[in-house]
Amino acid sequence: MITQFLQRLLWLVVLVAAQMMVFNYIHIMGYATPLPFVYLVLLFPAGTSRWSILLWAFVCGLLCDIASLTLGIGAASLTLVAFVQPVLLKLMLPKDAPENMQPAYSTMGFWSYFNYAAILTALFILCYFALQSFSFNHISDLGIACGSSWLLTFALCLVFESLRGHKNSEPS
Amino acid sequence: MRALLDFLARYHHWFLFVMLEGISLVLLFQFNHFHNSVWLTTANTVVGRLNEWEQQALRYITLGDVNKALVQRNMLLEQNNLVLAEEVAMLTHDSTRAEQLQADRLSGIRLIPARVVTNSVMRRDNLLTINVGEDDGVRPEMGVVSGTGVVGIVYMTAPHYAIVMPLLNSHSNISCRLRGSEYFGSLKWEGHNPLFATLDDIPRHARFKLGDAVETSGFSAVFPPGLFMGKVDKIENSDDGLSYKLRVNLSIDFARLQDVCVVAQEFQTEIHELEQRADSTMTR
Repeated sequence: MITQFLQRLLWLVVLVAAQMMVFNYIHIMGYATPLPFVYLVLLFPAGTSRWSILLWAFVCGLLCDIASLTLGIGAASLTLVAFVQPVLLKLMLPKDAPENMQPAYSTMGFWSYFNYAAILTALFILCYFALQSFSFNHISDLGIACGSSWLLTFALCLVFESLRGHKNSEPS
Repeated sequence: MRALLDFLARYHHWFLFVMLEGISLVLLFQFNHFHNSVWLTTANTVVGRLNEWEQQALRYITLGDVNKALVQRNMLLEQNNLVLAEEVAMLTHDSTRAEQLQADRLSGIRLIPARVVTNSVMRRDNLLTINVGEDDGVRPEMGVVSGTGVVGIVYMTAPHYAIVMPLLNSHSNISCRLRGSEYFGSLKWEGHNPLFATLDDIPRHARFKLGDAVETSGFSAVFPPGLFMGKVDKIENSDDGLSYKLRVNLSIDFARLQDVCVVAQEFQTEIHELEQRADSTMTR
């Protein structure tokens, strides 16, 4: 239990630090900004209490907001993703999956995890950029920013997942 | 209580979600100038629109009172208008006289606002009930008017209600004249159409045209002179050919009548008793 908590805390620190020090400075063509801190929410296994996911997501989003001076945007978006995550995970997991199954390539299969991560990151990015622009006057620019940022964020989440899966599969 | 606790325990994540989103949005609007200005603008627009709807609803609710006040005001203005018309006709510029005439005409008149409780226009002898009675000072033979003209005469009274014999009654007979002339006759309803009545006994040498206004003559204690009744719509000869019979387009739509005023004139009862005494003496 404590190990699990510490692992999550470590991921939180790493993701927030990476966002603060690296990803906040990436704006490809003025549009694409990676926001991979959403990966924290993707990590929660099935059966985790929903209030716990919500609180972790809110804190993570708020810390990133403080680091990026966009107070409220990340927290609101990540809390929404955290609210949807258990429902989506339940739909994606096989019916005979154990109750506390970890969402991963190895447990869900590549395409299931791919879809799971794609939907949650897309939801996050849409919500984030909608709140950030708070206007649909330049909807084409908003669409380009959403699409390119989603591609980057999603790719980074898959990379993180590959690294985590590789580390877990190493003989200890 | 237990059910409530069960409900809260079951859906606690919903409450937490709403709370966290609420906190996020408060932070968003509080610490981001652009979002804050958009929020304030939108909120102002929404609040403005809600206030407008509220005002419209309140205005609609208070329409009854407004209508009552308008009926009374209209009655007074009719009187004022008549006084001024007479004054212009006399080509005098003596303002003291105009004021005197107005004061004379309005003195001794009390208006009792009332609402029509029941009404009919389809029968030959229509009657309508108003929600004021003897306790409010209403007596039989008092006139009843609305904002657009004469309604009828109080027929019977009870402590809180009164029955009015409107113009749309075969027994109704109101002395009227053509505005701007002194030719008078009696206005009666001949049935069928509630929008028209007939003004009889206008002499053949009288000069008038279609569209001329018909008003009360003031030859009784029931109505003061000059209350608008309608306009001349058609001119015919009387059955004996000695006078004109005018079809009058009535100013009141009786089918939609709601707010009225009872006209209580000073000394009306005294005049009425005197007339009755005179009648009984003549028949003896």
